[in-house]
Amino acid sequence: MTKKVMTIWLGGCSGCHISLLDLHERLLSVFSDDVELVYSPPLLDFKEIPEHVDVALIEGGIRNEDNVEEAEEVREAADVVIAVGTCACFGGIPGLGNLFENEELLERAYVSTPTTVNEEGEPPSEDLPELTWRVHPLSDVIDVDIMVPGCPPSPDDILEAVRCALEGEEFELPRKSVCDECPREKKGKVIRSIKRPFEGEPDPERCLLEQGYPCLGPATRAGCGGRCPEVGVPCAGCRGPAEGAPDQGAGMISALASAYRVEEEEEPGFDPVELAESVPDPVGWFYRFTLASALIPFRADRGEEP
Amino acid sequence: MSERVEVYPVTRIEGHARITVIFEDGRPEDVRFQVLEFRGFEKFLEGRPVEDAPIITPRICGICQVAHHLASVKACDAVFGVEPPEPAVKLRNLMHQAANVHSHALHLYFLAAPDLVYPDEEDPAARHVFRIAEERPEVVKAAIELRKFGQKVVEKVGGRPINPVTGVPGGVSRSLSEEERDELLAEAKEVLEIAETTVDFALELTERLEEEGLLDLGALETYHMGLVDGGTHELYDGTLRAVDPEGNVAVEFDPSEYVDHIAELVRPHSYLKFPYLRDVGYPDGIYRVNALSRLNVCDGMPTERAQARLEEFEERFGLPRHEPMLYHLARAIEILCSVELCIELLEDDDVTSDEIREEVTVDDAADSEGVGCVEAPRGVLIHHFETDEDGLIRAANLVVATVQNNPAMEEGVRRVVEEHVESPDDMDDLLLNRLEMVIRAYDPCLSCASHAVRVGRYPIVVEAVTRDGEVLATLGPK
Repeated sequence: MTKKVMTIWLGGCSGCHISLLDLHERLLSVFSDDVELVYSPPLLDFKEIPEHVDVALIEGGIRNEDNVEEAEEVREAADVVIAVGTCACFGGIPGLGNLFENEELLERAYVSTPTTVNEEGEPPSEDLPELTWRVHPLSDVIDVDIMVPGCPPSPDDILEAVRCALEGEEFELPRKSVCDECPREKKGKVIRSIKRPFEGEPDPERCLLEQGYPCLGPATRAGCGGRCPEVGVPCAGCRGPAEGAPDQGAGMISALASAYRVEEEEEPGFDPVELAESVPDPVGWFYRFTLASALIPFRADRGEEP
Repeated sequence: MSERVEVYPVTRIEGHARITVIFEDGRPEDVRFQVLEFRGFEKFLEGRPVEDAPIITPRICGICQVAHHLASVKACDAVFGVEPPEPAVKLRNLMHQAANVHSHALHLYFLAAPDLVYPDEEDPAARHVFRIAEERPEVVKAAIELRKFGQKVVEKVGGRPINPVTGVPGGVSRSLSEEERDELLAEAKEVLEIAETTVDFALELTERLEEEGLLDLGALETYHMGLVDGGTHELYDGTLRAVDPEGNVAVEFDPSEYVDHIAELVRPHSYLKFPYLRDVGYPDGIYRVNALSRLNVCDGMPTERAQARLEEFEERFGLPRHEPMLYHLARAIEILCSVELCIELLEDDDVTSDEIREEVTVDDAADSEGVGCVEAPRGVLIHHFETDEDGLIRAANLVVATVQNNPAMEEGVRRVVEEHVESPDDMDDLLLNRLEMVIRAYDPCLSCASHAVRVGRYPIVVEAVTRDGEVLATLGPK
């Protein structure tokens, strides 16, 4: 019997769908007589979410009430729901919006940017976007069967997840961290402070973290091959937390503590506070992609949750 | 009695949108193009180290991510007050041109072609790329080859096929090895002929639209804006030129002065911003961007084959032209131009140079300000950052491509309704798709249009507004 697959995007950027299209020829062979694509806004003109599908791929997290409604509708329809990409899995970069109140986000966009001409001085008020109180990962709203992290995930990962979903197999993620697959050499050097990524010229062969750069490799799930460190850029953590440490930022702080060797006080005169103070933006560096799913997923004083 | 017909979601575009036609006593009263998403990047960039902007802003949009990366990194150069070395500029431009190839190919072949190949197809189930793949496999093969090439160049130069990372303040973090360069150059030469036939294909489809009487679907006359370099068509760096509806240069300025020339109107009862030229005022100063606008503003193309195609376009249709349906052909000509420029850049030894980065320090970024501007595939893209004493972003402003076409998209669908619709019964599947064709012609990227907000599937209040902004009628419950 023909299996039915759908895709939809919620609070994301379409990058995961583009990655799906990067299957190139294979995209055409995935959808054949046995597997039918029945709903996909970028590719097909169907306007209604089908009543039943075997597999649904959802890109994007939850940023507004429409996203909630559609996520629930898809959950209702689908036997297997795949959260595709870091926004769906962890909230992604839009989750940084949780550092501000919704009114602040809107005020900036509608009132105070220098190109804006707004005589009333207020964001449009009668028909305000129904933003959810904060950004959520998909799993806060519906049950998710398979998570495929990555910003975006590779075409192969998406394809493998769909295959597993169709064949009823378990989709397995690498259990290691990005460091485990990074080509750079680690010597266990102690670091005393963190540099800004643009400072100095990194040694092309050696571990970026040990050179003092803010590389999230130790706290990030493997599977990308360490491609950012490979081209001289610290890992930003886009694949979300590594196995066993669901709070990515906490995982990174723990990794920094061990790189600092807080337990060894063989070098008096060094103060661990210096390391902490050398980090200009702890949330933006350590929770850039996962704030919405962190243990503390929003700024504490951003108003009452309704 | 008021009645509403909605097209939701608008499909084969990037992002969430709806077209709503409001009928009052059976007559069309108002037409709205509504964008349904908002994430607030301009605000949550505040407090982030400015050098992280090139990693954060690509997540605004998965199709234009290279353009966002580069606009941010150019803004960083300005913040740090640094001129990247020539090889770095060439490497950045190389990934930019490659991204233009894959973005335009995606749009032309996957998103737009089903309408253009089957302009009379009423059945929504029969308008999609998979059908074209069956019936004209060579067409989809061309699309795939162009996309593959573009993504591969971005991957090699930018470190990742989507959301590149190698652009850093003062340059790039890596250059190409000799082997990589040779491999990419060989592939660029292979896709050159595919790019050339893409222009033939787009011309064939455009002539077909003309025969069917669809060429002027959603047409309106406006100003146009785009980057030029000494008057020549440009995507990476130059001055911004705006031409009036007759094609005369109205203004040309350095992108760093954009605030003096571009304004975005917020109207209390509309949730789209309406950008316009400050000097001309609203609504006369409404302008458009994207491929056709770039052809309208430039004096010529930077490459031989693309220049020949521009001349062919001018001979066949004249310039400037205003029809949204001509954006498709303009995009095809740009695909060819970008492939030619990729070859040119890959033949340049600078792309394998080690001189790719100027050193910068935290002090350079303290209490500073910078504007970065590129042509995204969808049009003029401006990132503007102000920094505090630690080089953290204090204020961010993003003028994104798609927003600048919003007034024209809405006006375009309004005109189709005015011309073809007398009652809700006229809103058949074919007409609904005609409305979507107008939107699609602009290849809108609604994830980018982060200013333009209208959320909620059933808006509470809908208004009929004259072109001068006067509110004629308010529909729906208060």
